Amino acid sequence: MERVEEMLRVARTHYMYSLDKNINSGNWKPILQAFSDLPDEKAQLFENDSYAALHYLLLDNSNENSTKNIIHRARENARGIQDHITREVWEEVNSIYHLTNRPFVKLKLASSDALEIIDLFLKHSMMYAGVADVTMQRGTGWNVMKLGKFVERSIEALVLTDKQCELFDYDLGKERDITNWRFLLLSLAGYEAYLKNYRSSKHNLQILQQVIFNADFPHSLIYGLNQIERSLTILIKENSSPEVPDLLRTFGRIHSKIRFTEPSSLIQTDIKHFFQELKQDLHSFNTKLRLLFFSY
Amino acid sequence: MSTDHFLNEYIYHENTWDEMYDSKNIRQQYSHVFSMLKNLDVDSMSNRHRLAGELFLNQGITFTVYNNNEGIERIFPFDIIPRIITGDEWNEIEKGIIQRLKALNLFLKDIYHEQQILHDGIVPLELVASCPHYTREAYGIRVPYDIYVHISGIDLIRGSDGKFYVLEDNLRTPSGVSYMLENREVTKRIFPDMLSTSNVRSVTHYPMLLHEILLELASSQISDPYIVILTPGIFNSAYYEHTFLAKQMGVDLVEGRDLVVDNHKVYTKTTKGLKQVNVIYRRVDDEYLDPLVFKQDSLLGVPGLLSTYRKGNVAIVNAVGNGVADDKAVYAYVPEMIKYYLNEEPILNNIPTYQLSDPEALKYAISNIDNLVIKNTNQSGGYGMIMGNSINERDWLKAKAEIEKNPRNYVAQPIIQLSTVPCFINGKIQPRHVDLRPYALYGPQGIKLVPGGLTRVALTEGSLVVNSSQGGGSKDTWIIDNPTSN
Repeated sequence: MERVEEMLRVARTHYMYSLDKNINSGNWKPILQAFSDLPDEKAQLFENDSYAALHYLLLDNSNENSTKNIIHRARENARGIQDHITREVWEEVNSIYHLTNRPFVKLKLASSDALEIIDLFLKHSMMYAGVADVTMQRGTGWNVMKLGKFVERSIEALVLTDKQCELFDYDLGKERDITNWRFLLLSLAGYEAYLKNYRSSKHNLQILQQVIFNADFPHSLIYGLNQIERSLTILIKENSSPEVPDLLRTFGRIHSKIRFTEPSSLIQTDIKHFFQELKQDLHSFNTKLRLLFFSY
Repeated sequence: MSTDHFLNEYIYHENTWDEMYDSKNIRQQYSHVFSMLKNLDVDSMSNRHRLAGELFLNQGITFTVYNNNEGIERIFPFDIIPRIITGDEWNEIEKGIIQRLKALNLFLKDIYHEQQILHDGIVPLELVASCPHYTREAYGIRVPYDIYVHISGIDLIRGSDGKFYVLEDNLRTPSGVSYMLENREVTKRIFPDMLSTSNVRSVTHYPMLLHEILLELASSQISDPYIVILTPGIFNSAYYEHTFLAKQMGVDLVEGRDLVVDNHKVYTKTTKGLKQVNVIYRRVDDEYLDPLVFKQDSLLGVPGLLSTYRKGNVAIVNAVGNGVADDKAVYAYVPEMIKYYLNEEPILNNIPTYQLSDPEALKYAISNIDNLVIKNTNQSGGYGMIMGNSINERDWLKAKAEIEKNPRNYVAQPIIQLSTVPCFINGKIQPRHVDLRPYALYGPQGIKLVPGGLTRVALTEGSLVVNSSQGGGSKDTWIIDNPTSN
């Protein structure tokens, strides 16, 4: 569900950008690549067609990662663990699921009302987060949910930042205007926070500081890692599996890498390599986590 | 198109410039929008109109009106059909406004220092001396980079000859820019396809430009200037705009009671103690800014602010005393200022203006009132305006007595038929009169305009009064390049 929310926010931002002349070419290819495994040649077919791209990202059954498919899987999961979640959470997941099948959703998404549909799903996914927060007991179920949520959020922060840097050819020595970074900040719901907290015109450094290292920004990588650490600590207390030490070591390496990296040094390093390594580490941690708690 | 399509009901006024129709043909810049509107029916337009209203209401995009029994917050009426101006027309407007602002800025610098323009008799000394907005307390103050008019909104109208004329200069605290930006966002929601295929210039960078200018105005020795927006508070009619700009720029919104002056420096009270303020974008009028200098009972300002300003310890945007340059009587001399300071011919023309302090002009105005509009030089927002063609006898006699008592406070101008645009009102497409307020930003790097502005619409049939406080609404303004029929 975290991925759904992030995808919707990115889709919304990109769609609004595509309407504005001089800001962005409206090319959907980087978004399609970030959120699906669509081959290049197919991505090219959709890259200049907002409605086709939105359909693929949100509703296409053939796209494993479409919000529709993710919501369907989330509903299956929720159905299987109803004894661990509250009735309110189940009902919210269920209502989003039924929404994906309503005929008007497909029709409106293919029309000038597309934004209405994105906003509707976005509202529901935020409602889901709020309902879970308000009704779930802070037990195992809650911590497992939180763990999944923040692993996903950390990966998304990393993927989107990497994608943005890729558009700059990973050349962060050259100072960029805020307009170049605005898309990333809006997609991570951090534009207003950035304007409020960062003052100088060294946007490259400040934005990396916010999206990677700022522990008060809820969509930053370090914030996600701190939350993972909290939930992991609680969960492993009740788990004596032999895999636990290895899982903790894997996580500790990632966490330390971010905690003890000087933001300004990042610009001078091979940032592409840094991001790639982090992504691999996070995916490896995620796999170990699944093996430990869900055995698959 | 079927003959009963709502677009066929549009009847433009003869002898008035219609922005969409040229005789019976659609102007090229409107052809694409027109063809897209042809595919919509009345229900679809009504739904879009309803959606626009909901968006404004849900986002809290409202303004406040005093003395209104219905409550204090209102949605600024928005008409969904955009007003379109070609890129070439805009380029001319832009050049004209830049030229005008340069001259007005030089006038302000001159008037608060050497007063050469008065010595040379270009602008009458008595006109400035009798202007209530000439601020003696601002005399001799050196402002950063000699810029006075940082933020301005110049009201333009298009006459029946198709030319743009300057109706009014707003050089103090012009409002409405948030509506310009929000109108575009709402258009993105209601007509996304029309917008994305029309080659419309973007306006979204306005807050960034404004923020850059505010940063540049701080002393060059400060690496991290602290900027605030000073608002009169939540009851001000433009409070939404104050919060909007604060959010868009990431600066603090403060009221007078949040600020304190100590040892000729301004501070904000924060939970971590006092924090020095370097730049104040004030949305409080001059007379309320500092109770030690201006209105003594003002709770909106900051005691001691003017002395801090004089010392150069804080930059105030716009500068104090700008009202003398946008006085409705001084307006008549702007073309002369352009020639005097810049040695250029004005690009944008003024509307002929009669100073009623001149007995001959007063006599002429009284005998030709049917064709004139009389404006009080000390009022704005459409208040204090007498439309000679619609005033009744009793009101005119009362107004005439007031004018004769103090003619300096009044000017007269011929009633100009403002251009009309198509509006979707009550399920029908109808012509309504409009003006245009482009916003200009004047910083150390020069003058910049965002391509567009606020089109204000007189929503009452036949009315020429576009002010929001008088029942006016607004439209999204599109500047389009290379218009085609697509």
